Amino acid sequence: MTPKAPTPLQSTLSSPAYSPVKRKKRRYVTWLSLSLMSFMALMVVIVYEARWVYPEIQAYFSQTGNLTGQQLATRSRGYLQGAQQQLLGEQPFEADSIQTIRINLDLAYGLLDVEVYRQNYSCTAPSLQTINALSDRIYRGTVTSVDAASELLEPIDCLTRIEMSQLDLRGMAINAFSESTRRHNQVVTYSSMVIFALGLLFWVMHERQLRRAERATEQTLAWMERAMRDPLTGIGNRSALQQEVMAKEGTSLALILVDIDFFKQYNDSMGHPEGDQLLRCLASLLKDVLGEQATLYRLGGDEFAALLPCQNDSLLGDYCDRLTSGLRGADLQHPAHPDNKGVTLSIGAVRFDAREDAFPLAYSEADKALYRVKSAGRDGYEVSLKG
Amino acid sequence: MNAASSVFSIRLYAKKHPKLSITCVLLLLSWLSVPAYAQALSMINGDAKKTLSINDLRQKSDITQTVFDPYQGREVEMRGLEFRRFLIDQFGDVPPALRFTAWDDYEVTLGGWHDPNWLLVTEEDGKPLSLRSRGPLRLVEQAYDDQRDVEKLREFNDWIWMIRSIEAKW
Repeated sequence: MTPKAPTPLQSTLSSPAYSPVKRKKRRYVTWLSLSLMSFMALMVVIVYEARWVYPEIQAYFSQTGNLTGQQLATRSRGYLQGAQQQLLGEQPFEADSIQTIRINLDLAYGLLDVEVYRQNYSCTAPSLQTINALSDRIYRGTVTSVDAASELLEPIDCLTRIEMSQLDLRGMAINAFSESTRRHNQVVTYSSMVIFALGLLFWVMHERQLRRAERATEQTLAWMERAMRDPLTGIGNRSALQQEVMAKEGTSLALILVDIDFFKQYNDSMGHPEGDQLLRCLASLLKDVLGEQATLYRLGGDEFAALLPCQNDSLLGDYCDRLTSGLRGADLQHPAHPDNKGVTLSIGAVRFDAREDAFPLAYSEADKALYRVKSAGRDGYEVSLKG
Repeated sequence: MNAASSVFSIRLYAKKHPKLSITCVLLLLSWLSVPAYAQALSMINGDAKKTLSINDLRQKSDITQTVFDPYQGREVEMRGLEFRRFLIDQFGDVPPALRFTAWDDYEVTLGGWHDPNWLLVTEEDGKPLSLRSRGPLRLVEQAYDDQRDVEKLREFNDWIWMIRSIEAKW
């Protein structure tokens, strides 16, 4: 099956000159872009949540295994208690034991000597002094092991208080963070829902606008279709003929002009309604004889045109023959024909290459051929060779 | 120099210069009170292990930088070595990760040591680091951006204190 050639109307609509869709495009872009922007905003919110809020949570709750995973005070207390155990051991003042004790005391000192403890806990500075002095006295052997162990009780007590207080602070910080995270989540959830709803709303507006534009385009198409058609016969008019030629530029075409002989007399004798009926009947006949590949036009009054692909003049002659014999076969009556014949036609035809500048000449040649037929007594055809 | 030879020398000069002798005694006592422990760094690369003297590292320290130490709550003049260069000197290249063991038995494995910002600190305000000052070696950033809150110590938990050994993880 051969694809159907586009109608003149379709060709017209596909031409860049036609722009109603273009004119409305800006409005679709506005709704569409608003909708897309909303969905993008939603994505941004989600990415923000994943990129910034999650690490913040990690910073609070994933401290195990690093430097501040365990409180410095807890670790310091552990070393002081280690030193105490060593002091209360069997031979605390042997060289190895003294070194172990001093390392423990130094580590405890290093972990306690932190500015934040000094600032917030008044027992820090005295405890550091105690540890410092005790380490020196143990080294010099000027303190008994029991006394040294009991002197460490005060710093251990200080560290325990620091630990408890820090745990309270940490608990408060976690509660505050948890509360702010809950509020933050609420805001994010509600704002996400609003953004999503806005995105949907804009999308619906876009779809509505699109449908409205489609309806407007359909109406315009229908209007243009009507403007290009002859209302009596339903075939194209003169404007459609010119559009069709432009749409088929470069192809070899045949233009056949058909004129009903003595149509005025037909109208006068049969009445205009019958005349109109004859016009419709002739349009149908032309269509039947020339086939689907031909497009038909009514140029005005009783003059018709047919445009169809044609590669050579002999084929064009065949078409004209088919028309005259088809008409004879139809045996249409013409009571007012001066020669007492039925309805007869005068036909002028020409073959030409479809180009904008070639068409007027082809039309003129076909018209001249038609009038030569009329001058020669009508009821015949002539193929012009000057196309 | 060892303690015995020092005591012998002081006794020789005590009769001629009593004041000087007292000063020497005090200096000797302070030297004796400097802990002899935590004075070495173990470098482990597969089966190869070597020990570096902290004193040598101090001698080689060639960068002095004033850094705000959030743990001390003040600006401190830190002296040390560029850690990236130190790793290249020791291991031939910067290993993808390092396992640190501290004197308080803290252990951690971390990567990303190509950054020349890391300083291996040996001295602070002109004094050698000791266990009491969270030494004898400490890894800190020479500079950090203003986004980090110096009030929040957890933001500085990648600083490594009291380093005892460094093991390359290839």
